[in-house]
Amino acid sequence: MKLFEYQAKEIFEGSDIRVPKRTLIKEISELNEAIRQVGVPCVIKAQVLQGGRGKAGLIQFAEGLEEAKKKTYEVISRAKNMYYLMVEEAINIDKEFYISITADPISGCAMIMASAEGGVDIEEIAKTMPEKIIKTYVNLSEGLLPHQAHNLLYELGIDESMISQGTQLLFNLYDVYCKNDAELVEINPLMLTKEGSFVAGDGKISIDDNALYRHPQFSLTREHFESDVQYEAAVEGIPYLQFDGDIGLMCAGAGLTNTVFDLVNDYRSSVACYLEFGGPNYHKAVKAMKLIMQSELKVLLVVTFGTIARADVMAQGLVDAMKELKPDFPIVTAIRGTGEEKAHEILRGFGLEPLADMEEAVKKAIELAGGALVE
Amino acid sequence: MSIILNEKTRVLVQGITGREGSFWTKHMIDYGTNVVAGVTPGKEGRTIGEVPVFHTVKRAMAHVEVDASLLFVPPRFAKAALKEALDAGIKKVVILCDGIPLHDALQMRSAARLAGAMVIGGNTSGIISMGKAMMGFFPYWLDRVYKPGKIGIMTRSGSLTNEVTAEVVKAGFGASSLIGIGGDPVPLTRFAEVLPLFQSDPATDAVVIIGELGGTMEEEVAEAMKKGLFTKPLVAYLGGRTAPKGKKMGHAGAIITAGKGTVEDKIAALSGAGAYVAKKPSMVGELLKSALAKHQI
Repeated sequence: MKLFEYQAKEIFEGSDIRVPKRTLIKEISELNEAIRQVGVPCVIKAQVLQGGRGKAGLIQFAEGLEEAKKKTYEVISRAKNMYYLMVEEAINIDKEFYISITADPISGCAMIMASAEGGVDIEEIAKTMPEKIIKTYVNLSEGLLPHQAHNLLYELGIDESMISQGTQLLFNLYDVYCKNDAELVEINPLMLTKEGSFVAGDGKISIDDNALYRHPQFSLTREHFESDVQYEAAVEGIPYLQFDGDIGLMCAGAGLTNTVFDLVNDYRSSVACYLEFGGPNYHKAVKAMKLIMQSELKVLLVVTFGTIARADVMAQGLVDAMKELKPDFPIVTAIRGTGEEKAHEILRGFGLEPLADMEEAVKKAIELAGGALVE
Repeated sequence: MSIILNEKTRVLVQGITGREGSFWTKHMIDYGTNVVAGVTPGKEGRTIGEVPVFHTVKRAMAHVEVDASLLFVPPRFAKAALKEALDAGIKKVVILCDGIPLHDALQMRSAARLAGAMVIGGNTSGIISMGKAMMGFFPYWLDRVYKPGKIGIMTRSGSLTNEVTAEVVKAGFGASSLIGIGGDPVPLTRFAEVLPLFQSDPATDAVVIIGELGGTMEEEVAEAMKKGLFTKPLVAYLGGRTAPKGKKMGHAGAIITAGKGTVEDKIAALSGAGAYVAKKPSMVGELLKSALAKHQI
């Protein structure tokens, strides 16, 4: 679960990481008051989850009140799916750094990454100047050790006078990573002010979904999703992705779904949505169909090859869903695995021709969607 | 022969009295697995079939000798259950559950390495040595998929395994051992760490890996091949070639982040190391045939 910048900064503040003065507004009418609190110059920042906000014009600098108004309108016109705007004091920057903590699956450690090339796209640095990225590996059962923090800071070229503050910052950030079961904590840019303090210019935190049960303070709300249907699916616990193509996928198992996804694209057709029908969802056909029907699709393609997720249960669910919801698009099925004979009987009994081959099913679906088959 | 598991391996099942645990224990025994004991706290004295149940792993091991443990426990208890098995000295563990918290997985990976144990999973169907034994849940009654032979299989996906293995069988082959590495971002054992076992297994002529977008496990396989650590023919099929960046494609581990983990990069690395990469599952059988033929010359 990705947190918004304003949420990340609240968490930073709670862990003694300095952040700029800021106010959150919901409407343009609140702008005057926000600027009175924050002062000018200021920065107007869209609170959206997409990356690259700077490049997309969703972060704007303003010298005074009039410019701030103009820039606020600009940000509002560009932002999609935005619920809040942040008005933040502009900081007198001396230097900018990059710092993040993620998981390193090979060593089984937390990995701190830092660079003196802050404020720019870290992917770009990783590609063009990988030597400018400094990495430190922290064993979770030992925790961050002082010498690790010191070495990292000296390697970054941090001035002697700032080592103590920098060390504290690293410990605080590592604490945020651990305490919240984060997949990622990132400060980019980490600003060193002319007055000599480290301030988090931005904040990205992503919480591990599998650990959310230990953190009831985080709850998924509508703001975290691009559409109602994605939110609804998440509440049901059904993995659901939306695209804008022709064929809806209701497949069991991530690996199989990704393969069907590739086949559809290889034959030059396109995917409308991606719904996980496997795992604990295999008996939720009616709910799944309700979600699918909110998407614009020409054909629904159901492909499974399950063990615990029984084919007959899925077939029966599908038939029940069709009876109850009467979808108006054709449905192509390749439902296989445990209970497949019975599944095929059920489907035939409802006039659906069960296919045994995944590729054949993909081709059939594309034909029905009116697409041309191109290898 | 087979790797990690055979019909003699003495298997303990942690979480044996649960619904899935007891159901699949019976199937494992039916398949030929030597299940010697089970553990569920508070349930000592019961039996599942003929398998005795104990409160703890240590108590079980006072009565029977154990070579490997299978964890049928929910994800939030996986870390503690693994620690219990490692503390008791068990060197082979398979963890099936999907949804282990990331920070737990990191600690489990370093604990396993420290103990010198091979821990497979999580988020997997487990491992199966064809015709001999299995730890996990496989529909072994589907004989168009689960047929003994000389192809080693490693996979990050459950559902896709049936699909691809069926193609291997269709081409006239069968499998020696099938190792479900699992779909998590931190698999506790990685492809490249299993590869040496297949290399030294005389019953394995070639290996098929079923990978997907995300992570660097496929690149590590390519690296091992380049270094000459694996010299048998290797065929790979990788799902998610056309997946968009930044979206979690079903598995938590299946995501392209910071430009890393694209299938394109993986294909380039594997092809560059001499592996055969199938564009779709139906090509795996033919590629295996030609790879084996070339290697025999």
